[in-house]
This record gives sequence, C-alpha cells and structure tokens, in this order.
Amino acid sequence: MNITKIRADFPSLEVGNGRKPVIYFDNACQTLRPRQVIEAVQRYYQEFPACSGRSMHRMATEVTREVDQAREKVAKFLNAGRKEEIIFTRNTTEGVNLIASALNWKAGDVILVSDKEHNSNLIPWQMVAKRHSAILRVVHTRADNTFDMEAFEQALKAGPVKLVAMGYTSNLDGVTIPAAEIVKRAHQQGALVFLDAAQTIPHQRVNVRALDVDFLAFSGHKMMGPSGTGVLYGKYRLLEQLEPFLVGGDTVSSSTYETCQFLPPPEKFEAGLQDYAGIIGLAAAVQYIQSIGFDTIEKQERLLNEFLSEGLEEIPGVRLIGPSDPRLRSGIVAFYIEGVDHHRIALMLDQMANIAVRSGQHCVHSWFNARGVAGSVRASVYVYNTLEEAKLFLDSLIKIRKVL
Amino acid sequence: MFCIIAFIVLSILGIFSASNRQLAKEALDCVLRRVTLRPCTTGFDEKMKAKILGYVITRSETGARFLNRYFEPLSWIFFFLLVGSTFFAARGVFLYYTTGSCNGLNQSGFCVFDPTGQNTQFSSVDESCPVTSGGDVVLTLEGVNLSGFPRLTGGANAKPIVFIGSYGCDYSRKAYPMIRRLVQRYGAELIFLYYPVKEHSDYLAKVGYCAYKLDPQRFWDLNDRLFAADKSRLEDEAFVQGVLEESGFNAQSVQFCAKDFQTEWVVKQQLAEVRKTNFYGTPTVFIQNEALIGPKPYRVYAIALEGLLYWLK
Repeated sequence: MNITKIRADFPSLEVGNGRKPVIYFDNACQTLRPRQVIEAVQRYYQEFPACSGRSMHRMATEVTREVDQAREKVAKFLNAGRKEEIIFTRNTTEGVNLIASALNWKAGDVILVSDKEHNSNLIPWQMVAKRHSAILRVVHTRADNTFDMEAFEQALKAGPVKLVAMGYTSNLDGVTIPAAEIVKRAHQQGALVFLDAAQTIPHQRVNVRALDVDFLAFSGHKMMGPSGTGVLYGKYRLLEQLEPFLVGGDTVSSSTYETCQFLPPPEKFEAGLQDYAGIIGLAAAVQYIQSIGFDTIEKQERLLNEFLSEGLEEIPGVRLIGPSDPRLRSGIVAFYIEGVDHHRIALMLDQMANIAVRSGQHCVHSWFNARGVAGSVRASVYVYNTLEEAKLFLDSLIKIRKVL
Repeated sequence: MFCIIAFIVLSILGIFSASNRQLAKEALDCVLRRVTLRPCTTGFDEKMKAKILGYVITRSETGARFLNRYFEPLSWIFFFLLVGSTFFAARGVFLYYTTGSCNGLNQSGFCVFDPTGQNTQFSSVDESCPVTSGGDVVLTLEGVNLSGFPRLTGGANAKPIVFIGSYGCDYSRKAYPMIRRLVQRYGAELIFLYYPVKEHSDYLAKVGYCAYKLDPQRFWDLNDRLFAADKSRLEDEAFVQGVLEESGFNAQSVQFCAKDFQTEWVVKQQLAEVRKTNFYGTPTVFIQNEALIGPKPYRVYAIALEGLLYWLK
C-alpha cells in the first residue's frame, strides 16, 4: 500500500500555518488519527448523540446498534470467541485495574511480571500484593532485554502462581514476548495469563484464541483510535466468574433496596454512560488498520527501525536499549547518550525540525532505577512515517551530538 | 541566573501570549526556588536552554556549541546587562519625572518619553529658535538686582519663582500659564523678567515696564493677556494699545511713558541685569535657585518648588 496515500488520511501531517511539518515519532505514546476515525466520532455527535442500551427511540436504537457493531468488529479483529468477551474501557490501565480488582485473591497468591513493565501493569499488582498479602514476583529479562524463558519457567514452578501479567510488547524497547509459549506454560501450572497488549495490537496481528490468553487489554489511542477508549478481552467463562469492578447504572438487570441482579458480561463491567463516540471511533480505527493490513504496517516499521538503528549506531556515545537486532524491536528505538540530558535532546529535536519524540523513563521507572539510567529518548514509528523523516531525525541528532 | 532573565523577558512577552505566560510562571517558580536556595525542579532552565540551542543550531553549529559551552557565563553577562539597563532605565524614568528629560535637568539628547524634545526646547537669545542645548553654562541669580522687576507677592514665607520669558516665544507662552497656576496653588512669589528674543519686541519691554510702574495690580492681567494673545500681532502697536485698554490701562499714558528716554534707559539696565543670570534662552525659570530651561511639564515645576510629594501639599 502506498504510504503517501496513507499519510493523506492524517490531517495532523498536513503542512500549514507556515510551520514545518511534524515528524511524529511518538507513536508508542499515542498515534495520530486518520480522517476516518475523526469522522466516525463526529458522526455520533452530529447524527445520534444519545444513550445506548437504555432508551427506545430511534437515535438510541442507532447508538445501540453502532456500539454493538463496534464490539463485534473488535471481537473479530482479535478473533475472540464471542463479542461478549469484549469489554470497553477507558484505556489499558483501566483493563489492568479491572482484572486486579475483580479476581478473587487469596493470601500467598503469586503474580508474575517482567522486569520492564509499564507502571500500568506494575502498580495495580503491587496494590493487590499489599491488600491481599499476595506475592509479586519479577521475572528478569536477559542482558539484551529479551524474554528469558528459563527464568520464567523457574518462577512458575517456584510457587502457586495465580496470574502471569506481562506486557506483550514492551513500550520501553519494543520487544515482544513469546506469548503463546508463556500462556501454554502458565496454563500447565494452573496460572491465568493477562497480557498488556497496548503496544502489540496496533503493530501486529493478535489472535486471542490461538494464544489461548485469558485476559488481554489495549488502548484505542495507540492504534489510531480516540483518546479515552480501550478494550479488555476476557474468556467468557472467566468473565462470568469475576466480580464487577465499577458498579452502577447499566450493570444490573434489576435491584431492590437491599440487593441487585448483575447483568452478564460485558454489561456488568461497563458501568455508567459509556464513551459511545469513542467506541464508534475505535471501531473505525480497527477498520482502518484492517484496510491497511498488518503486513504493510510491519514492513514499514521494520524498514524504518532498521534505518534508524543503523544510523544511531554510527553516532558516537549513543546507546540503544534492547536487542541490537531491530527486527526484534517493533517500531521502537530507545536510546540515550552518556552524559547528555535526554529531555534536552528531545526538546532540541522539536525545536530544530519539529520532530516529536518521547524522553524520560516512559512509565518504566523500575527498569531505569534498577539500572541507574536517568532516562532515554524514544523514537517510535508507525505506518505513516517515512524514510525521509527518519533521515532528517538522524541528521538532526548528529548535529545535536556535535554540539552537546 | 537564567531563570531571572527568562522571568522578566517572558513576563513581558506573556502580556501578549498565553504560552509565554505559562513559561513565565515556570520561570517565577524557578526564581523563587533559587532565591530560597532550593534546586529548580521544574526543569525550566534545561527546557529553555534546549529550546534556545535548538533554534541556534539550525543557523550555526559553531554558535550552538559556543552557547552550550558558555551558557552559564553568558547568562551571568546578560544578567548584569539586565541589572545595568534596569538601573539606567529606572534612572531615566525618575529623571523624566522630576526634570522632564530622561537625561537630567536642562539636558538635551533623546528621551523616549519625550521623543520630540518638547520639554527641553527654548528660544535662544540670539534668535535661533528652537534650540535644545546651552552647553555647560552656569545659570545664577547671584548678583542680579531684581528690585525693579514686576513682582507678584505671595503669602508669608512665599518661595520666589523668577520667570524669564518673552511674549513672542512659543516655549515661554507654554510655560507661563503653568507658572501662574503654580503661584496660585502654592502661594509662591512671582518675579517676571521680560526678555525680548524676537525682533521688534523690545517695544513690549518698555510697555511692560511702564504698565507695572503705573499700576502693579493691573500689570498681571496685561501680562496674562499678552502671553495669550495672537503672537503675530504683538508687533502691532495698535493691537497692544487695545490690550492695554482691555486690562484697564490708559493706553496713551503707557505709550507716553514707553517713549520716554528715562524708560529706555531703565529697560536697558533691566535687560543687562537679566543677562547677568547667564541665561541663554526663554523660558528660564528659577525655582529654589534651580534653573529650568524650556517648557517643562507642570509636575517638574511643582517638584522644584515643593519637592517630590508636591501633590500631597
């Protein structure tokens, strides 16, 4: 598929107001949105801005239908068994918190996480450990930040692991873990598996049934969808057993002054009025990704990552985070320069050439603190980024390196 | 040090732009932390340095390298320049307020608050008009006999104001009403020294002398009328006669006195006395032994007479 044609779908990439066109390399934080998504959101507000699943009038019926279709699209996108396995959330973090809150914890239950989890997939488990006297165990990665299956196997066998909660693709370095194997081994030990797929879903095909994963969460804003949208997938039989997280309107079929009758999933997890515009926009994003195809996305990201990685390796003092093989790092290139403030690099890139990158610890403070690294610059590319942009990024960085 | 400079600059820019206002707030936070000997945790200075370097690097890598290496010393230099320029700016404002010129009393030179130099212009005694500088001449009333000049006595302990002016001089015409207002407001004593800086206006010196001699009370009405009259007609004797009569004088008596040989001699003596002040242009106003040349704003005369807090009196 033609990248130029894809770029034309993104209003943010248009040149205007005499400013330099943005080189958006902060896609791991959130991606830009195509017109199709913006228009879908707009359509809700313009045509049927009503409640879903409650009122009987035509506008409400239209919203209900659109939301139902959106759920179905997402279910198909993930190859879920049924659409009721899809719970709409505000983001991945909410999905993690839902599982952390809804599982039935017992003292001594073990939760396994990796050593480079995003705070969203670390702090909720820390809280579970604190509240329920559970044990949070960290599985360390290899020296190059790739997954250590042996260490994982040992950790699994070391105690009663209730849940393996891991980032499917790291937002730190773009490394994707061997999820299918992890799920298989975890299930063999009787553990459930939750995958934080926020950095995976936008970049590669995910088949939840093939993975046999129990729970999986992701965000809309990292996959060209609206901000404030997310999805939690869960196997239906497990969702049925979970206690609701947030309760209230639209989660029950009936109530008395003393008790209530909860609706089945997904309704019992979707309390209150939902972000219908966002959900409809999210479905549009799913459709947009499908229209491009993961082959195109992966090919473009690999091309750019290889180019960027090669270029960065030639700049003196630059240290890449993660494995040296760019094919293992999705669309993410994180690096730091010894003795140079990462924020300064990011600000200078922005000032020099309107290049947007992320700097800091990327919500993976634990990894940086454990290694005594102050932070890094993270360039994360997506399907609409080009080689010209990557070249300008490298040229700018070379200049910065000469100055700092 | 950079925070202080940034705070001042961004505060000014913040008047026009909300984004700069936000940066100014960050800079203020940084300044407050620095003055209380706490580290600046907002990263403001780092952020601004990076932005500046990012801007400079696109134009000159050498410049950016230099700036990066000497950012702190350069910040200090700019800080001292800022302190210096703030001091001089404040001094200029104070001088303008108290003397009507940013450069000090009777000083010429550009002043941003008086760009056309209105407050420092005067009519030269050698008839080149207008001029703005009299050099380093010391003006004084010492040794000047003021006894024969028109005198408007004030109350007890009235402070004297000596006004040297000419009816035909635009600058005298501008200053005179303010001096009259000042005399009235603070009960000062006014001594009026007429000095003809325009051709053919010698005649008015004699008329003034005679009018005061004949009726000191009515003289001040005549004086006010002559300063307010159409100056192109001041050389017209018939017009002056009309003004005399409007002020209640017998014009013939005044004219007769003015043409008297004795009057001419006295007036010459008086003009000689005026020149002893070393004045070089009109209006020149002596207040509390301070000479103010050119038409100043009212407040300058008031400050010279009553001090900075004149408005409280």
